[in-house]
This record gives sequence, C-alpha cells and structure tokens, in this order.
Amino acid sequence: MKKLVLASVGVAVLLFTGCSQKNPNVDMTTKNQKIEKVNNTNGMNSNTNGMNSNNMDSNNMSSNKTPENNENTVKYLIANLESKLAPIYFDFDKYNIRADMKPVVESSATILDGDKAQKLSIKVEGNADEWGTDEYNYALGLKRAKKVKDELGVLGVSTDRMMIISYGESNPVCTEHNKVCWQKNRRVEFKLLP
Amino acid sequence: MIKKILMILVLSSVIFAADATVEIVKKLNSLPKIAVQDASDNNVDITLRKKFFKIIVGDLRVSAHFRPLDEYLKSSYEGDVKDNFLSKKGVDLILRFKLSLEKQNLMATVKLINASSGVVDSETNYKLENKRRFPFLAHRIVVSVNDAIGAPSIKWMEQFVIFAKYTGKKESEIVVSDYTLSFQKTLVKGGLNIFPIWANDAQTAFYYSSYNGYLPTLFKVDLTNGTRDKIISSKGMLVCSDVSKDGTKLLLTMAPNDQTDIYQYDLRYKQLKRITKYPGIDVNGNFIDNDKKIIFISDRLGYPNIFSKGIDGNSGIEQMVYRGKNNNSVSTMGNYIVYSSRDKSSEFGSKVFNLYLISTNTDYIRQLTANGRNIYPRFAKGKDTIMFIKQYKNQSSLGIIRLNANKSFLFPLKVGKIQSIDW
Repeated sequence: MKKLVLASVGVAVLLFTGCSQKNPNVDMTTKNQKIEKVNNTNGMNSNTNGMNSNNMDSNNMSSNKTPENNENTVKYLIANLESKLAPIYFDFDKYNIRADMKPVVESSATILDGDKAQKLSIKVEGNADEWGTDEYNYALGLKRAKKVKDELGVLGVSTDRMMIISYGESNPVCTEHNKVCWQKNRRVEFKLLP
Repeated sequence: MIKKILMILVLSSVIFAADATVEIVKKLNSLPKIAVQDASDNNVDITLRKKFFKIIVGDLRVSAHFRPLDEYLKSSYEGDVKDNFLSKKGVDLILRFKLSLEKQNLMATVKLINASSGVVDSETNYKLENKRRFPFLAHRIVVSVNDAIGAPSIKWMEQFVIFAKYTGKKESEIVVSDYTLSFQKTLVKGGLNIFPIWANDAQTAFYYSSYNGYLPTLFKVDLTNGTRDKIISSKGMLVCSDVSKDGTKLLLTMAPNDQTDIYQYDLRYKQLKRITKYPGIDVNGNFIDNDKKIIFISDRLGYPNIFSKGIDGNSGIEQMVYRGKNNNSVSTMGNYIVYSSRDKSSEFGSKVFNLYLISTNTDYIRQLTANGRNIYPRFAKGKDTIMFIKQYKNQSSLGIIRLNANKSFLFPLKVGKIQSIDW
C-alpha cells in the first residue's frame, strides 16, 4: 500500500489572526504640521495630513530676514542666486572634490559669501547615482555634501549658515541609464533658504 | 515509493543544511509531482480562482519540495476516478481546493489526495476575513501541505514583506506585501519615506525614515492601533538598519555632526551610543553574536567592505570579507553573512552587483546570483531563504533565493523602483 504516512485527516478551521491583527486606525496626532499619509494594512483609513516634502526647505533654519524684504523679493533673490550656482560633480564612488570642480566650488563660495546671499541660509544637498545599495548611497551623498561644505568654509563662507543633507539616489536630474546620466546625478547642489 | 522519496528529501535537507555555503543541486526527479485542482463554486469569480491557482502552483515550486504541474485543472470537490488518480500525468499528489464566499469572508476547503491510491490524506477548512488577502490564504495552504509531507518548513512564505519604492523625485511610498507582491497595500505615501524595517518578529509595528520635515526623522508606526511615534532625528541622514532580537535596541546610521557613523539607540532609556568613529563612511549595521557585536559596511580601506566590531567599544575592528572591491550591503543570520559585491571595475560590465554567501565557520564563498544588480539581501527567519532586490533591464524585482535547492525566483514590481526591503 502506497499510502502516505501523513498527519491527521481531521478538519481544522483556521482564522487568519496573524493578518487580522494588523488592524490599525492610524491616529495622526501631530498638530500644526502637514505629515505623510499613513494607511493601515486593511486599507480602511487613510488620514490625509499630507506632509509637504518641501518643509525641509522652510522650517527652522536660522532666519535673518529683514522686515522690509517681502516674500516675493526674497523668492526672486533666491531664484536669481541659485541660477548662478552650478552643481559640483563627483567621480563614481568618490567624494573627494575633483581638480576640475575646484573652480566651481570657488565660484560658489564667491556667490554664497557675497552681500546679496549673506542673509540666506544654505542647504548643501548631496546626491548619488543609481549604482549600489541605497543606504551606502545616502552616506556617499552626505560625504560629498560635507566635503563641499568644508571647502566652502575654508573659502570663507560661514559654516553656521550651512546645513548638509543627502538624498542618495532619490533625487536624480537624469533618469536614463547611461554614463552621461549617472555623471549628472553624482553631484552636490545648493538650495538657499530665507 | 513516496515514503522513500520523502525520506530522501528530508534527510538530504538535513544534511545540506549543515553548510549553506556549499552549492547543492538536488535531482529534480526525487521530488513528488503534484497537481492542483480547482473545485470552487461557480459563483466565485474565475479570475480569483485562477489567480489563487497560480499562487499555489508558484508557492509549490518556490518551496523546492514539489514538482507542480502548471496545467489549470478543474474537478468536482469529491472527484471521480479520473480526477483522483491522474495516472496519465504521472502525479504523486493532488492538491484540490474549493473556494467559496460567505459575506466578506473567503472560505477554502483543501484536500491532499494520494494520486496512487486515491485516498484523501488530509482535509482542512480555512476562513479568511478579508478576501483581498487571498495570496496569504494560498501561502497558508501550501505551508500546510508542505508540513503534511514532512518537508522542511517554508513558513517564511507567510511573512509580510515591507518595502519602500521610489515613485518620483524625492517621492517614495512604503508598502506591505506578501513575498510574491501579489498582495500590496500602501502604508505611507507623500514625500520621501524610506528604509522601512519591522520592529518585531510579530510584524505588528515598523520603523521608517521620513525626509519630509526639517531633519530626517525616524518614526515608529504601530499597526495594531495606527499610532505613529517619533523616535529620533538627525542631521544629514538617518536609517534604521537593524533591530535587536528583543526589540529594545536599534542600529542607526546617522550623522548628528555631519559624519555618518553607526549608533545604537536604546529605546527603553532613550540613550544613544556611538559605535563607530571613522571619519569616512560607516553604514548598514547588523547585530551579530547575541547583539554584542555588529557587522557593518565601511570604506576605511578606500572602498566599501564588510567589518565587525564589538558594541562595548573594547574590541577591535575585524575585516570579514577579503574578496571584492565594492561590498556595499550585508545581512546576517547566525554564522552566515550574505553580501552584495560589485564584480567589475567598469560600470558598464555585464556582471555588476552579485550576492555572495559566506560562513564565519568556513572558508567557503558561494556566489548566489549571476547577472543584473542584486542588492539589499535579507535572510528570512530561517537560514535557507534570502530575499533581495534585483534591478535588471529597467525592471525592479523582489528576488527569492532558496539556498538548499540552489534556486532563485523573481517577482517584478509593476510600478516604481524598490528602494529597500525587510521581512
């Protein structure tokens, strides 16, 4: 008899309690701030307190804004200055500033230390290409931003005005999969904040 | 005959489990051939029935303990001689399922039939409260059938996977899914929300990094009550890369002084302890040795490689891998280390990032992948299964490697690019 020796033939009723435990009703208690939409696994609730991803650009940075500057004037000034600031590019898997990028850093220092920019804060954003694991890429982007911040400090820009952040590979300027594109994404760029 | 097959299967798994770094190729013919039959009520949507069938067949194949037939077969639940023997197809076992709907519940009755004797070896009823989760019901059935024949456990199939996917510039979502991505539910959306990791084995809570406030911030979301709590913020970057076994400590990569290092955060006392102090890059900490040491990635040799260090700070740093010039992510399970390594110096090489498995007890290195970019490996709760992210020809997929069977499977993501995973 080729009968399998198996476990019981009985009938069991199984409730999928493991799944149904995940029954959250997300309580978004944060006040006065837009926050991410968080759903529960059952898809019953979706509180839309949607965080604005640009909040990082505008909250809590030291503000030396003079009262007479209205918002539009500051926006125009920032847009004008940012248009003059070129990205600083890096080699694959490197965070040292290349020789050909040093003039770009020097030019950036001149603009950032100039009278018009003096009252603005500077966000130095590091970025990486799509290669490698993202956690390492976030660290790589941060090292790039740190190198640029340090170099700007040496060139006279107050480090108190600068904060660094890395976006890893999450903020590409080019999404094609080729060498030119990857080079464009391995970069540090600046955002100015009131 | 089937007894012998099963005995060989069980014994071989025990033997092979002794060292997963040794590559094993099992003889396919030693596995029992199984047919899956759909005996569902006609009022159950045929699309659901076919999806259910497909997941069950896929699970049986991924288990590496069966040879499933791909042919979609219908039968009555009781069956007749033709249904219960399938002699023309040379089948050893028949898995017959009958789906039915009762309000919002999805019910399933499942028989495992010996195709040689026609005898029903087991019969089980299942009830699923949310029919959207039917992939987990299919996984549960296959786990039970696998247990019924005495094969090594594949309970990892029931684990929830949590992953982040990029959907645009500085935009990502956090999604919970099954391991095949057949079930997906978005948990967090809006802005840049990344690096989700389960907070406990029960998968009732998770941590993730939000880049949407002034500083990168780690949040914990409790899925049982829906609350979200802020844990800690850092300048520069913030990633939770591992959670201790008891859930009380986190390994964080953060840069409070503009310098990326690995920190241990004790949730009970809200104490932060800096573990690495190298002026380059230290990331991706993983607890080992009963949470007394960590394994991590560092560029202290001028390229990313894998090192270990005691948490107490008294022990030195030990290089763990002596192969490759770009080993950029790592995961551990007991004595095993799986890591991703860049295989060619050129960024255009046909071989790019491959996964390797090593044991701290042996000198063996086993290559697990052959092409594409294979990154972010993560062990399942057992040592026999690894999940990873594969980027290949603009396609982002979850990959599963069954170590003892020397097989791998890919589950493509339709929209977006997978950023990180945990399960």
